[in-house]
Amino acid sequence: MATVPKVDVGTDYKEKYGFFVPEEYVFKAKRGLNPEIVKEISWMKQEPEWMTKMRLRSLEIFRKKPMPTWGADLSVIDFENIFYYLKASDKQSKTWEELPPDIKATYDRLGVPEAERKFLAGVSAQYESEVVYHSLQKELTAKGVIFTDTDSALRDHPELFKEYFGTVIPPADNKFAALNTAVWSGGSFIYVPKGVRVDIPLQAYFRINAENMGQFERTLIICDEGSFVHYIEGCTAPIYTTDSLHSAVVEIIVKKDARCRYTTIQNWSTNVFNLVTKRAMAYADATMEWVDGNLGSQITMKYPSVYLMEPGAKGDVLSVAFAGKGQHQDAGGKMIHVAPNTTSTITSKSISKAGGRTSYRGHIKMYPDAKNSKSFVKCDALLLDDESRSDTYPYNDVDAENVTLGHEATVSKVSDEQLFYLMSRGITRSEAETMIVNGFIEPFTKELPLEYAVELNRLIQLEMEGSVG
Amino acid sequence: MGFTLQGVEEIASLHGEPDWLLERRRNAFDVFERLPMPSRIDEEWRRTDVSGLDMAKFSEFEHRNGAGPAEALEGVAGTVTMRGSEIEAVRLDPELAGAGVVLEPISVAAKTHPELLETLLFTQVRAERDRFAALHAAFFADGTFLYVPDGVVIDKPIVGQVFSAEGGTAVLPHTLIVAGRGSRFNYLDEYLSPADEAAGYKSGSAELFLGEAASVGYVALQKWGRNAWHLADQRARLDKDASLRLFNVTLGARFSKTRVEASLQGQGAEAELKAIYFASGEQFFDFHTLQDHQVGNTRSDLLFKGALQDVARTVYAGLIRIEKGAARSDAYQANRNLVLSDHAKATSIPMLEIDNNDVRCTHGATVGPVDPQHLFYLRSRGIPETTAKRMIVQGFFGDVLERIPFEHARRLIETELEARLG
Repeated sequence: MATVPKVDVGTDYKEKYGFFVPEEYVFKAKRGLNPEIVKEISWMKQEPEWMTKMRLRSLEIFRKKPMPTWGADLSVIDFENIFYYLKASDKQSKTWEELPPDIKATYDRLGVPEAERKFLAGVSAQYESEVVYHSLQKELTAKGVIFTDTDSALRDHPELFKEYFGTVIPPADNKFAALNTAVWSGGSFIYVPKGVRVDIPLQAYFRINAENMGQFERTLIICDEGSFVHYIEGCTAPIYTTDSLHSAVVEIIVKKDARCRYTTIQNWSTNVFNLVTKRAMAYADATMEWVDGNLGSQITMKYPSVYLMEPGAKGDVLSVAFAGKGQHQDAGGKMIHVAPNTTSTITSKSISKAGGRTSYRGHIKMYPDAKNSKSFVKCDALLLDDESRSDTYPYNDVDAENVTLGHEATVSKVSDEQLFYLMSRGITRSEAETMIVNGFIEPFTKELPLEYAVELNRLIQLEMEGSVG
Repeated sequence: MGFTLQGVEEIASLHGEPDWLLERRRNAFDVFERLPMPSRIDEEWRRTDVSGLDMAKFSEFEHRNGAGPAEALEGVAGTVTMRGSEIEAVRLDPELAGAGVVLEPISVAAKTHPELLETLLFTQVRAERDRFAALHAAFFADGTFLYVPDGVVIDKPIVGQVFSAEGGTAVLPHTLIVAGRGSRFNYLDEYLSPADEAAGYKSGSAELFLGEAASVGYVALQKWGRNAWHLADQRARLDKDASLRLFNVTLGARFSKTRVEASLQGQGAEAELKAIYFASGEQFFDFHTLQDHQVGNTRSDLLFKGALQDVARTVYAGLIRIEKGAARSDAYQANRNLVLSDHAKATSIPMLEIDNNDVRCTHGATVGPVDPQHLFYLRSRGIPETTAKRMIVQGFFGDVLERIPFEHARRLIETELEARLG
């Protein structure tokens, strides 16, 4: 395995995002990956035997599968030099006040309590590998909604858990899904009963804070018939000195007439490898929406997908990627049409700056049974300077009759006319560019809850600052 | 014979080829021996299955057969006709010959114009590309060499026609075109055989070199028999201000894979790459295209239009690449597929790799059935369904068809559409 190159995370990171909290851990596993460590993780969590076995089997699959040869260069990842499990405090806190002070300090910078006060139903804040803070409004509990961390769900709802876990993304799906299944820890578990609509978004904040520490969280969302839920996953991360791996798996089941929206704003620090598998199964007349923003990380490879399993199912991906210096955002979406009369759209907006590289990679597949289905893909890319790069790799396979599939993409720079117009009104070039970029991703921003939209605009502003000489 | 080193030497001595060409064939043969058959692990071949192709079965060359297409070529400035693997006749308007235009079999030109061929032959279509390209470079039968000197304008088209009728053989023609500065002309390669010809291995590759401000129209019309395996490479190099219009019409073969590449190496160069394909029965067509903008102020415009019938399958995969310094480039790429049956399968992969921000790049792909409203409109005017469908397909192809600079080729396509759509 190659040696890890020194990564420049930028000297202004501390000022821009704020914080670095010294490590303080109750338990720290050894580095490396072998059956003993996997067994130890499972033992620490007091898991049932089937889960231990599944973890071990997944580890074998991980060992056998080759590294993907496409997309970003992953050869620098040293799997033996990673912590696969950390636990920040012994037991879960029930209220905000009970949280350890240093963890609270971190969240204060992120404004979690603020967000919670305003409109959030529950906060399941993930600090390191395990969820330490969790609250859920009483009314949701009364409706029968389960919103908990995935470890607790395995303990408290074993049957529901076993029925769905690993059914959408089996361990053998890809190398990193196998890795996640072997060493997963934390993540969110949501069950929404039949006909229940959760009106306020559920949210979990993610953090990685230990050097060389992997995050392998596992999220499982089940929307029963006719239900609705909006889940928000947002991440920021403080400074690191060496590469860090984040490899999550998100499985979603959207049953008949249900709707699920999953919003992500990913802003890992720019030395994180973010290799995530996200997939949803949508059944009859169900709707699955992925709203996926990628700003941070050194390398992201993530293609949220929807399997349209029954007639009338609908899938949506709205994706925004921002790649600055040294970053490669390889993002996109997949729509797999299995049943007739299914529809899907993918909208991708990407911005490359200061030598950054964005790639859209997508797959539309219409199986022979997917008659009368429709799919439309639109990709727009903005290149802010001549050092940056943008790629588009859309794979479209149509094996069904009477289907309509369209794909469009454009690549351009910030238009001189727009710049001139704004600057002639006394706006500085840098501000004008920021406004144009914010306008470019507006279809994405307007789908976010207000607070996130504001945060995103602020992040773009920070990214854009000093980008123009 | 057989695809052996001895076979390589036999062809070379049959043509009396100079040493440099024999050496080139030998090197290509080494590559052929070294490279494995592509498999589905290779991205380019994931949807393109060559496991059923046993090349050794077709290692005999087809000798000159008496037959030929019934229709005579009229209104042309020159012709090179090949029957099987051998040159039948070469004709060129004497006036053009007087102006310095060279139209010769490659086997002859290798001796008469070594300075051009030695530097250019197989520098664009390279043996190292894959096993099939290597096979072609090692064993290519013969083919057309066309040189048009600086400033020469040819009004009527020049036609290379390869006719094969035997099956069970390899037919591997090659075309090399060199366009001098400011020259203008149109050239058509026709690959023909009877529809029911037995399976055989065919290539039909072309290399084009466009000098400064040259303007060239190139058409490749592939209508091999419906059992053939066809694997071809076309690649053009464009110097400053050169302008290329390259058309592919693909109708024949059971399996057809064509790579179409334009390398824009001089400022102001522009390439128009267009294609019409119609896959029916069990036909499988694969196109891989490349618009390579190596310098700035270059333009490319690609439009590949296909119709699919029965259980046919098509794969289109194209890439626009804008290199780092290629500012003010303008590239367009579109693939449109009209699916006429329930069981046809179309794959479309239009890709972009953009390394410069001062560019305009747009691409699109569509796959869809005949618009029921169009069909309804025509039916409501008393037009029978099959005729209405044919009219819609003709209309679909129309914008590419009308740009093909050769009446003869357009007529051939029209006849084919009628035969397939009734």
